[in-house]
Amino acid sequence: MDKTQINYKNIYYPPGGILLWILIFLELITFGVALIVLVVNSKENPELFHQSRLHLNSTFGAINTIFLLTSGAFMAVTVHQFKLNNNLIASKYLKLTMLGGMLFLILKGFEYYLKIESGHTLGSNSFFTFYWLLTGFHVIHVLVGMVILLFTQNGLKKGKTLLEDIEASAAFWHMCDLIWLLLFPMLYLIF
Amino acid sequence: MTKTISYTLLILIILTIITALVSNFIDLKIGVFFILILSVIKFTFVSFQFMELKKAHIFWKITLTIYLLLFMAIILGVL
Repeated sequence: MDKTQINYKNIYYPPGGILLWILIFLELITFGVALIVLVVNSKENPELFHQSRLHLNSTFGAINTIFLLTSGAFMAVTVHQFKLNNNLIASKYLKLTMLGGMLFLILKGFEYYLKIESGHTLGSNSFFTFYWLLTGFHVIHVLVGMVILLFTQNGLKKGKTLLEDIEASAAFWHMCDLIWLLLFPMLYLIF
Repeated sequence: MTKTISYTLLILIILTIITALVSNFIDLKIGVFFILILSVIKFTFVSFQFMELKKAHIFWKITLTIYLLLFMAIILGVL
């Protein structure tokens, strides 16, 4: 596909493609409803939610937010450079994008380790049930995103990647950012 | 990095740090409101700048905006 010929103003081709945007909305609605249920639950026992929330390390959450946002910025540059036919530079930024994802996963893994060590597991109380399920599903999305990026990187190296592919990969990766931007304040900050 | 992406990232990082700091004053209801507003702003920056939604058909922009407003209104209504 010609890298300059996509008409984004066409309702059927938002950047990343219509199917991916339908997926993004479904994911956002699913996580959104789960977060609303979390808040409704918190009204039944606000003290428990407050005390449980204090066991989470908001600094870890903030650092992880910065990792994901920086990774998202690198992804945006990857797409930009690819459109300019600078495939080598695009490949370099795609690797940096994956590094951001890896750092997120490492810190999240460390956080999970600390939670398990201190006995705050899935069944501890309703707050931690939400915490583990919501962040766990998000981590799965990040892992899937990393695999997609690996395939994209491989295609980029072989010169087989199309603009549609790289935009779809980027849209999926940014979706992980969007979900985390909802999870972080709701789980780590507001209770 | 392009200037727009760099500036957007800088704003997002600053907003994240402000959000984390504001959470120390969470006892105040206004603190929760402020945190949610900052999150909505960050969400908008990522979707419109990084995901290039600004270039998309207005349908997608309006749909995402409605989602965000509904989400925030429900959360604030329940809280």
